[in-house]
Amino acid sequence: MAMTQESGIQYEPVAEIGGGAYGTVYKARDKQSGQFVALKSVRVQTDQEGLPLSTVREVALLRRLEQFDHPNIVKLMDVCATLRTDQETKVTLVFEHVDQDLKTYLEKAPPPGLPVSRIKDLMRQLLCGLSFLHSHRVLHRDLKPENILVTSRGQVKLADFGLARIYSCHMALTPVVVTLWYRSPEVLLQSTYATPVDIWSTGCIFAEMFRCKPLFCGESEVDQLTKIFSVIGLPSEDEWPTDVTLSRQNFCPQSPQPITDSVPEISEEGADLLLKMLTFDPLRRISALSAQEHRFFSDQPDNS
Amino acid sequence: MHDKDKLATAAANGNVELVESLLLNGADVNGVNRFGRTPIQVMMMGSTPVARVLLAHGADPNVVDAHAGATPLHDAARTGFLDTVKILIQFGANPDVGDNNNYRPVDLAQQNGHQEKTSKVSRVALFRSFAHYPVIPAFIPSYLK
Ligand SMILES: Nc1ncnc2c1ncn2[C@@H]1O[C@H](COP(=O)(O)OP(=O)(O)O)[C@@H](O)[C@H]1O
Ligand SMILES: [Mg+2]
Repeated sequence: MAMTQESGIQYEPVAEIGGGAYGTVYKARDKQSGQFVALKSVRVQTDQEGLPLSTVREVALLRRLEQFDHPNIVKLMDVCATLRTDQETKVTLVFEHVDQDLKTYLEKAPPPGLPVSRIKDLMRQLLCGLSFLHSHRVLHRDLKPENILVTSRGQVKLADFGLARIYSCHMALTPVVVTLWYRSPEVLLQSTYATPVDIWSTGCIFAEMFRCKPLFCGESEVDQLTKIFSVIGLPSEDEWPTDVTLSRQNFCPQSPQPITDSVPEISEEGADLLLKMLTFDPLRRISALSAQEHRFFSDQPDNS
Repeated sequence: MHDKDKLATAAANGNVELVESLLLNGADVNGVNRFGRTPIQVMMMGSTPVARVLLAHGADPNVVDAHAGATPLHDAARTGFLDTVKILIQFGANPDVGDNNNYRPVDLAQQNGHQEKTSKVSRVALFRSFAHYPVIPAFIPSYLK
């Protein structure tokens, strides 16, 4: 994998597929292989020293992850740096392109939705990719069906991870509408957060696999939290984080509702795992590694 | 984003609702984006619903990529999305055309190992469904061999 100087030569963009505060994502064709790739570029400020150390570190981390060739992570094929001006460099990451996301995959499932065996397989792969990232101290932070890719062979590949630190310097340039639906309570409350945020998102996605529609569809941070508490109950005063401005008094007292009210199709083992993922306290939420060992995945014959 | 890119981008994102509403509001199904590509050339190949909507609105399935010489059928076959292959053929995509390397869609499917995954049952089903189409799919016999 080489640091190519000029990104325009080998990859030809064919469509814009995403745009954030930091840069743009393109679907492009690798002229050599004819295959599609995803180009993600981010503009970074440069000085006499060149690229900021944080960017170099982050790219180095992504390339180190790539060496493991993990089956459930999109491949990072190339990294290009193009000098734009004296103060600005465009860093382009070239990822393998997968022509289907989980959102599309779920939309295509004929009624009554995905068979449990398929949900197990997808969840196994998702958790496998996630525990790999977490074991390397990489947070995804934006897990949602659009960022979970599914190949035509049913292989799950996580996209759009690990760029947090490159981006963070460039955020808030353009207001972007980000979906709140998969955000964990600690992120919504702007408390400190770590790897458990991804498990929360995974829980929401797990429920969605059964429901074929999103679990919590809030329109604002407070609305999202309200919807969450209407299912898991309002957490107790001592569970409420202390480092947040939004107080618990803003929400109505609520007791937890049976999860099968929201996800009627789920089995007893599935419900147990789901509740462990949708635990308010991030420290008591199940880890990706433990989730992989949950009895939901044990090889009992499926009823469906 | 440029206005004329909207439909292609929606197709690339597999956003079938947006594709549909843009088309109903008069977007040109064969209009090119700023990269000179039509929506069907850049659509999410796994999104059979998007393929269906575009084709139903008159998208040209035989449009050729200016540089790679690939048609949407080449890309659907290479990536292994059989349902999309099926619907493209149903709407008249030519299975015999070669790309710049003279590969036909079936060659790309085979190179990427996608011919194995059709089990015997689904092969038969696929073949039957093709048998009804007015276009004789020369693609199928070789694809299924
Ligand atoms: N490797 C990839 N292959 C295919 N599609 C991708 C890939 N990476 C991203 N995408 C698509 O592009 C969209 C935007 O890209 P993403 O990396 O999520 O950027 P953003 O930070 O703007 O969310 C995603 O929602 C996803 O559907
Ligand atoms: Mg994203």
